[in-house]
Amino acid sequence: MTTLETLLREKVLLLDGGMGTQIFARKPTPEDYGGAALEGCVDLLTERRPQWIREIHESYFRAGADAVETNTFGANPLVLGEFKLSAKAYDLNVQAASIARDVARSFDRPRFVIGSVGPGTKLITLGHVSYADLLASYRVQMDGLLDGGADAILIETCQDLGQIKVAVRAAREAMAARRRKVPLWVQATVETTGTLLVGSDIAAVLTSLEPLGIDVLGINCGTGPDEMHAHLQTLSESSPFRISCLPNAGLPENREGQVVYPLAPEAFVQKVLHAASEFGLAILGGCCGTTPDHIGALAPGVEKLNPPRRTPRLERGAASLYQSVALRQEPAPLIVGERTNANGSKKFRDLLATEDWDGMISLAKEQQREGAHLLDLCVAYVGRDEVRDADELLSRLVTQITLPLMIDSTEFPVIERALQRSPGKCVINSINFEDGDAKARAILELCRTYGAAVVALTIDERGMAKTRAQKLEVARRLHALAVGEYGLDPGDLIIDPLTFTLGSGDEEFRGSAVETLEALGLIKAELPGVMTILGVSNVSFGLNPASRHVLNALMLYHAVKHGLDMAIFNASKVIPVAKIDPEDRRIVEDLIYDRRTGDYDPLKALMARFSSRKTAVVEGHRADLPVLERLHRGILDGEKQALLADVDEALRDHDPLKLINEVLLGAMKVVGERFGAGEMQLPFVLESAEAMKAAIKRIEPHLPRESSYQKGRLLLATVKGDVHDIGKNLVDIILSNNGFEVKNLGIKQPIEAILKELEAWPAEAIGLSGLLVKSTVIMKENLHFMEELGLKVPVILGGAALTRDYVEGDCRRTYSGSVFYAEDAFEGLRHMQALVSGEAAVPSPTPAASAAGEIKVLHRGTTSVPLTAQGQSSWVRHEMPPPTPPFWGVRELVDRPVDLFEHLDAFALLRNRWGFSQGSLGDEAFASVLREKAEPQLDRWRERLAADPLFQPRARYGYFPVRAEGDALRVCDPLDPDRTLAWLTFPRQAGGRRLCITDYFRADQTDVLALQLVTLGQAAADHAARLYRADGYADYFAFHGLATELTEAYAERLHARIRRELGIHGKDLPGRALFAQGYQGSRYSYGYPACPDLEGNGPLLDLLRGAEIGVHLSESHQMDPEYTTSALVAWHPQARYFSV
Amino acid sequence: MVKVRFLLEDLLVEAPAGTPLQRIADAAGADITFGCRTGSCGTCRVRVAGGLEHCSDPGPEERDFLKGLEAPPDQRLACQVCVHGDVDIEYLGP
Repeated sequence: MTTLETLLREKVLLLDGGMGTQIFARKPTPEDYGGAALEGCVDLLTERRPQWIREIHESYFRAGADAVETNTFGANPLVLGEFKLSAKAYDLNVQAASIARDVARSFDRPRFVIGSVGPGTKLITLGHVSYADLLASYRVQMDGLLDGGADAILIETCQDLGQIKVAVRAAREAMAARRRKVPLWVQATVETTGTLLVGSDIAAVLTSLEPLGIDVLGINCGTGPDEMHAHLQTLSESSPFRISCLPNAGLPENREGQVVYPLAPEAFVQKVLHAASEFGLAILGGCCGTTPDHIGALAPGVEKLNPPRRTPRLERGAASLYQSVALRQEPAPLIVGERTNANGSKKFRDLLATEDWDGMISLAKEQQREGAHLLDLCVAYVGRDEVRDADELLSRLVTQITLPLMIDSTEFPVIERALQRSPGKCVINSINFEDGDAKARAILELCRTYGAAVVALTIDERGMAKTRAQKLEVARRLHALAVGEYGLDPGDLIIDPLTFTLGSGDEEFRGSAVETLEALGLIKAELPGVMTILGVSNVSFGLNPASRHVLNALMLYHAVKHGLDMAIFNASKVIPVAKIDPEDRRIVEDLIYDRRTGDYDPLKALMARFSSRKTAVVEGHRADLPVLERLHRGILDGEKQALLADVDEALRDHDPLKLINEVLLGAMKVVGERFGAGEMQLPFVLESAEAMKAAIKRIEPHLPRESSYQKGRLLLATVKGDVHDIGKNLVDIILSNNGFEVKNLGIKQPIEAILKELEAWPAEAIGLSGLLVKSTVIMKENLHFMEELGLKVPVILGGAALTRDYVEGDCRRTYSGSVFYAEDAFEGLRHMQALVSGEAAVPSPTPAASAAGEIKVLHRGTTSVPLTAQGQSSWVRHEMPPPTPPFWGVRELVDRPVDLFEHLDAFALLRNRWGFSQGSLGDEAFASVLREKAEPQLDRWRERLAADPLFQPRARYGYFPVRAEGDALRVCDPLDPDRTLAWLTFPRQAGGRRLCITDYFRADQTDVLALQLVTLGQAAADHAARLYRADGYADYFAFHGLATELTEAYAERLHARIRRELGIHGKDLPGRALFAQGYQGSRYSYGYPACPDLEGNGPLLDLLRGAEIGVHLSESHQMDPEYTTSALVAWHPQARYFSV
Repeated sequence: MVKVRFLLEDLLVEAPAGTPLQRIADAAGADITFGCRTGSCGTCRVRVAGGLEHCSDPGPEERDFLKGLEAPPDQRLACQVCVHGDVDIEYLGP
C-alpha cells in the first residue's frame, strides 16, 4: 500500500491551494452559516454545506493535488467557543476528515487527507490563554481528525512558537491514545518582517521543534514565494525534516477596497518551482489567493521534480522566543550568565523578596549586554512559592529577553511550569542519580515532551564523583539513560563533572581541579557528541574577590583546553588570561595542578599575595616594569610625558636605532592592528602617534650619523583645486610615526609641482589626497599626465569621494605604474610597507571586465520627466506663491561661538570627525567611551571657546529677487528689479527627474533667492595650523573636526533663521532629524552634487560682499579662511539634495 | 546574482549577491545622492519597497541614526546596505 511516506520518497508531493478563497468565491450568506450570529464560522460549513467542501476537494484533486487539507482550520473548542459552538469541535473534525477521505477514495491513484490545524485566535506566549486550556482544546481537534481518518496532521499558519509546541504535544497524545501514528507536519508563517508574528526567526523555530521529532517543517501563508527565500534557505541548510512551502499568490494588494493576490498561475508556478529546486522542497502547494488553476498549473512541473536530496547540518542550540543560540560557541566556551539566580546572587534574591519583577528583568538584560549566551534562572527561595515565582517571572521575561534560558531547579513542578512558560528550547539544570534514577527519568520525560536539553551532574547514590574515574563512570550511566533510553540527542546532554573549591585547603580537594580537568577530556573522548559544562566560579569559593577572579579565569582557560563547551560564569568577570600578571598566573596554576613542594604551598602564596589586593589585574607600578616594556606601554597608552623619562633611561643601555625599530615601531604596529580590529578609536591612535613623535625627537640626536631608521619615502599632497588638509595630514602622521619619511607638500598642488619635487626628492610612492568629487577627476587626470611622461612611480590615492572601484578600475587603467586605494591612513601604511618590502608585485592594470563589470544594468527606463516650455523639470510643481522676505538686500551678523553649539551635530562630530566609532566594541563599552572620553572632551572645548577667542563667527546673508530661465537664475537688484546683478547657471540631470536647482524657482514671476555665508574667522584657521606644526596631533585633529562641524552648525543656524524670516519654519523637525534636511526647502553649497562647480562661489561672494567679513576666493575658487561655507537657499517644498 | 530595481527611474540592475548597494547605485548611475557614505548624514536614505529581508542588517550606528529620525523599519541608509537578494529601492533622500 502506498503511504504518504512512500509517496514522499518517490516524488515531490503536491498539496492543494487555498480553501478560504474557494469558499468565499461561493459568497456564503448568513443562511449558509445557519444564522447571522454564526456568520464567518467557516468550519461550520462542513456541516452546513458539505457539498461545497466536497466540490472544493474534488477540484483540487482533479487539478492534480496528491493531498488536500481538511476544512478544520479553526475547528477547535477555543475558536469555536467564540460562536458558542465548542461542543461541536470533535464532530466537525471527524466530519471534515471523512468528507475529504470520501473524495480521496473516488480517485484511482493514491490521494491523501491532511488534517489542518490552524493557529487559533489566542497567543499563548502573550498570555492570552493558559497552557492547559490550549492543550485541551487542540487535543479535541486532534482526536477528531484522527478518528475521521486524516493521513497526517498539519499544524499550519503558525504565528507563535509556544502554540506550535502545545499543538505538537496534543497531536502526540492523541496518537498515543489511539496507538496510531501518522506523520506530524508543522508550517510556520513568516511575516514580511522576517519573523513569526511573535518575533521568532525560523532558526529559533527549527531549534525548538527539532527535539520534538516532527516529520515536516515548512512555511505557509504570510507572503508570496519570493519573500520566503531566506527562510527556506535556512531550513534547507539546517533542517533534518522535509520542507514544505505553501505561499500565498504574492503579497496582497488593496485594489479598490478589495484584497487581491497579484500572482497569476503562470508567475506563481515559475516562482514555486524555482524555490523547489533551489531549496530542496518536498511538499508544494498554495495558500491564500491560490486556486485550483494555480495547482493545476503547478502539477506538470511538480511531476518532473525528483524527490529532493539535501545534506542538512543542524547546529545544535537552545532557543529563546526570538533566536537560536548554538551550544557550541566558537571560540568556546558558551557563557551561562549566573546572576539571575536566587542561590548565587544576593541582588537577585533581594529583588525576588520584594517581587521587583522589572528589577529582575533588568538584571537579566544586563547579563545579555555583558555577553552571556544563555541565562541561568533560579527562583528557589526558602519560604516562597517557587512555582508561582517561576510563573510570574517567566511570563514577563520571555518576551523581553533574547537569550535562551537554563531552568535551574530541582523541583519537577517548577521545571514543568517553566517549560510551559518558555516558547523556545530551554536547558534544564539539572539531573543526577543522588537518590537513584527516578527523578532523572521524570525530568528526561519532560525533555522529551517539551523539547529541552539537560545538564547532568556526575553525582550518584554514593555522592559527588570526585575522581576522574568516578566522574567518567557516572557520565557513562547518564549517557546510557538519557541518550540510550530516552532518545535524547547526545548534543542535548550536557555533563557537569563538578567543580570543588580549592580555597578551603582541605586535603581531600587539593587535587580536585586536576580530576575535573582530566575528566572533561575523558568524557569528551568516550562519549562523542555530548557537551560539557562547569560552574567554574565554585573553584575559588572562600577566597577574596580579587584572587577569585584570577583563579576563575585560569580555571576556565584550562577547562576549555581540556574540552569544556559551556561555563556558568559571570560574563562581566571574564578577564583575558594575557592580562594576568605572570607571577599571579604561575602561583594560580600551581594551585590548580596541586604543585606543592617542600614548604611551598601555592594556596598560601596566593592568599599572601592577594591579602591586600583589590583588583585581579594589576596595571602595575610603571616603575616595576622593565624599561622597554614601559616604552611599549607608553606608546600604546599615548602617555607622552611619562614616556620621555623612559626614553632617557632606555638610551643609557640600549642602541637608539634598535629602540626605534624594535620597541617603538613594534608598539605602533600593535596600535595599527588594534585600530584595524576596531578595538582602538582614532583619537587614542593619535595620542599614541603624538607620543611616538615625541619619543623619536628625543632619540634622534643620539642616532649615529647617516643611520636611518626610516624605511622609505612618500611624497604627499592634496591635489589641485582642493584645500582639504585633514585626511592628508592623518596619513602624514601615521606614516611618519611608523618609520616612513613623508614630505607633505600641502594643499592645492598641481601635478607639475609634485613631479618637480619628486625629481629633487626621490620617493617610493606619491600619495594624492582630496575630498571633493572634482578631485577624483583631477587624480585621474594626474595619472594620465604621468602616463604621458612614461612614469612608473607607484601612486596611492585616498579621499572621501573616492571609491575602491573607481581607483582599482578607472584609475588603474589610466596609468601603467601601480595605483593603490587607501581607505584610511593605515591602509596607506600597509601599501607603503608592501612596496618597500617588495611584496607588492606591480598589479597589472585591471582589464575592462573588472569587479565593477559584474554589476550589469539590465534595463534602464526611458521615462525621463519632460521639461516644461520654460525648460524646467515638470516634476517640480509651482503651487504656492513665493514667500516675502522681511527685507531685500544683505545683512551682517556676529555670533558667539557658544551659540553655535545649539545647532552642532554632535553625532557627526563624535563619530565622523573625531573617529569615535563603535568598531568591535560592545554597546556598553562604546557607550562608556562616549561618556568618559568623547563627551567630556566636547564639554571642555565648549568651556574653552567661551573664554578663548579662537573662533570669531561672522556671517552675511541676504534676499534677492530672482527668476528662473532654463538652467540659469537671473539674480536682480533689490533696489531696481529690472537690473540684473548676476546670472547663476547650474547643471541639469540628464535623465530621470531631470532636475536643476533653477527648477525650484519661478520662471513666470519674481521669486526669492536667499544666499548665506558663514565663517569662523582667520584666527581659527591659524590656530589649526599652529597645532599641526607643533605635533599636537590629537588636539589638532579634535580642533579641526570641531571647527568643521561648527562651521556647518553656523550654516544650519543661519539657514534656520532664514526659514523663520520667510515664514516656512513650520516644518522644522526636532532633534537630529533637522540635520538630515528635516525642514522645508534646501540649502545648496557649491562643490556638492547638485552644483559641483566651485566657480559659483565667485558671484555668490560678490553678491554678499564677503570681503567685508574677510572671506576671499582662492585661485581654485575655494573660500579662504578655511572654516567658511556658503550656500544658496531654496524655499520650495520639493527642493531636496540631488546629484547631477 | 541579485536584481536591484530603482523605482524612481525604472532602472533594473544585476549584481553579485552581497554587493554593497552604494556600489550598485554608483555603477549603474542610479539617482541616489550620497553624502558622507559612512551612515551619518542621511542623504542617501531610501525606502526598501521590496525585499527588505534581503538587505544586510543595520549596524549599531545606522540603527541609532534611523532611530533618531524615527524612520519606519523599511527605511535604510543606502551607503550601509549590502544586498543579498532581489530588492526594490525608492530613493527618499534626507
